[in-house]
Amino acid sequence: MKDPLTIAGREFASRLITGTGKYPSFENMRDAVVASRCELVTVAVRRVDLDEVGEAITDWLPEGVQLLPNTAGCRTAEEAVRVARLARAGGLPDWIKLEVIPDARYLLPDGEETLRAAVDLVDEGFTVLPYVQPDPVLQKKLEAAGCATVMPLAAPIGSGRGLKLRNAIEIMIEQAEVPVIVDAGLGAPSQAAECMELGADGVLVNTAIGMAGDPAAMAAAFAQAVDAGRAAYHAGLIDESQEARPSSPITGLVTS
Amino acid sequence: MKVLCNGKELELEPSATVTRLLDALGLEGPYALVERNGEPVERERYPDTALAEGDSLVVARPVAGG
Repeated sequence: MKDPLTIAGREFASRLITGTGKYPSFENMRDAVVASRCELVTVAVRRVDLDEVGEAITDWLPEGVQLLPNTAGCRTAEEAVRVARLARAGGLPDWIKLEVIPDARYLLPDGEETLRAAVDLVDEGFTVLPYVQPDPVLQKKLEAAGCATVMPLAAPIGSGRGLKLRNAIEIMIEQAEVPVIVDAGLGAPSQAAECMELGADGVLVNTAIGMAGDPAAMAAAFAQAVDAGRAAYHAGLIDESQEARPSSPITGLVTS
Repeated sequence: MKVLCNGKELELEPSATVTRLLDALGLEGPYALVERNGEPVERERYPDTALAEGDSLVVARPVAGG
């Protein structure tokens, strides 16, 4: 069944987006990106160390994968807009994963600054994918501003704690007008499946793959989990029940 | 001609362009990003953007990140 993830009019066969950070090597990263079947990968933007230029990550990414530059490290709207403008001017796509994070301990995004930056970037023609706390009210403001997705965190970045903020994300999914991509905090494929079963349009995973014992194998596992969760969402989950509901006939017992 | 690039003083020939700067740094690849005196430089302008004495430059590129 063709069931693409559509962001800003572009279709992606995979509903898994991966980050490129935290891999032991570029080779591990490339193998994992291939194994994940993802078509959109995030990259950060940093100053080049002139004393040690090193290899370019872009030389290691599979062909056909779209880069999604992020604004990680930016603490204000102005900083994020500056990074986005630099990335686009230099030839990166005009898609931007907007992150404005003033808090180094929990890496929680600043919704007010994110919205301010989103308004400016959309106005300048960027396709904006904002990273947010699961806030259904902020979601509506970002949608109204013209964002292409809204990307709520499941738990703090890199924490691997899973879908801790499930209830708020559930509301966001229910009232979404643009795709909801659950971003950050997932530690296991089962947690990605849970997001997809809930009706999330996609998930973004980095640490759980990059720091796994075998990143490529874990990437493949996440890909399968995302597919399974999406299929289950379409199939229709049963309602929960407090009491048991027998699966076998309760009449005609041999022993009656 | 001296310019400041990523906080480091570099000596370039007079009227060197952004393209020349990137060549000198070994960054001729497709995704070298350049900000000159606080303004991003469009990639298609790299060959004809002449630098000036005292310019402050940021040269960046995509790196691993989530």
